[in-house]
Amino acid sequence: MIIIEGVVEAFKLLISFDPEVYSVIFLSLLVSGLSTIIATLISVPVAIIISVKKFKFKKILKRFIYTFMAIPPVVLGLFVLLLLSNQGPLGSLELLFTPIAMIISQTLLIIPIIIGNIITSTEELNQKLIETCKTLGGNTKDIIKLIILETKPFIYMAIVLGFSRAISEVGAVMLVGGNIQGKTRVITTYITWTTSMGDYTESIAMGIILLIIAFIVTSIIIKLRDDK
Amino acid sequence: MDISINCVCVSYKELKICFKDYLFKDKNITFITGRNGTGKTTLLKAMGNVVDYQGEINAVGTYVSQEAVMFNKTVYENIVYPLTIRKLALLDYQDKINLLTEKLNIHHLLNKNATKLSSGEKMKVAIIRSIIFSPKVLLLDEPTTHLDLESIEELENLIKTLKKKINIIIVSHNKSFIENLKDKEYRIGV
Repeated sequence: MIIIEGVVEAFKLLISFDPEVYSVIFLSLLVSGLSTIIATLISVPVAIIISVKKFKFKKILKRFIYTFMAIPPVVLGLFVLLLLSNQGPLGSLELLFTPIAMIISQTLLIIPIIIGNIITSTEELNQKLIETCKTLGGNTKDIIKLIILETKPFIYMAIVLGFSRAISEVGAVMLVGGNIQGKTRVITTYITWTTSMGDYTESIAMGIILLIIAFIVTSIIIKLRDDK
Repeated sequence: MDISINCVCVSYKELKICFKDYLFKDKNITFITGRNGTGKTTLLKAMGNVVDYQGEINAVGTYVSQEAVMFNKTVYENIVYPLTIRKLALLDYQDKINLLTEKLNIHHLLNKNATKLSSGEKMKVAIIRSIIFSPKVLLLDEPTTHLDLESIEELENLIKTLKKKINIIIVSHNKSFIENLKDKEYRIGV
């Protein structure tokens, strides 16, 4: 029953144009969207280099990346909190409890996810592509171009996974953002807050809105993947 | 162009495979045969410079793997890929593309996505892609594995034509294919 009420409430919230609800949705999209873009720009070249190059300690490096894919957001949030707190090395920047701190946390959280997924899904294919391109007369530039084009679908899927992880996590943004109304409150921290207040209907409603956003963004990325 | 091999060793995982002296003559079809795991493919890859090796190989051939890796493009785009990266005018090669694709009976597939083809069709595309830019040495790794009898015959005819101009080295287990084409056979690992 409460779930049906939640669904109804979700649509009411969406059509109510409540400024608070929309500011929460907007901030969620901004923080997770920017985190995904930054993480993608860092992760894609790193993942391609790791998957195509042969170097010492590659196996250990990959194991570390796979381990960090499973890091609990709250642990990562704690690390960023200590980094940005007054006593921390970056305390003077006064970034704690700002959206920038939340972006830093989510970026760090999803970098291993994007790198790890690209490596696992493309490593074998990359070796075959390098072999084929090389024997057909391709140089390093041709090989890189070919790898990016041929592994594009896997890269997009890794980005989807990264964004999904970013927008759905609560531990890190709660710790470094503080869930301050109108400033650092995002959908997941809003849900945590309303649940703690006993307002389950609103929690479910925001949960449904979160799923709708995730569905739309994921669909856009998959559409980009499928378009030539 | 002749290919000569002088004490070549290739490290593969924890194994090290070494090959003594071999000479592969130009305008000849040489088969490399032997039991599984004796390093036939590794030797071919070394000659194609797609694996690191120690020792001397005097030239680099164009290697066609038994997997026939296709790019996610049309058959035509796959075939012209070596020309594209060399920035050659595709129009100059149109007749050659038509001739080769007709010879191997894949002309009707030119606009199809190459990754969607059967294994045999992929092999045909891979072979044409490897000879379109007229390499001096062609290295074929078990080219008949996925081909039907008619296709093997088409391939034999193509290889006989190619032999007049280039050095062809083939790894194969197909006895009749070997008998129909071979000028020389090296059996390794014995």
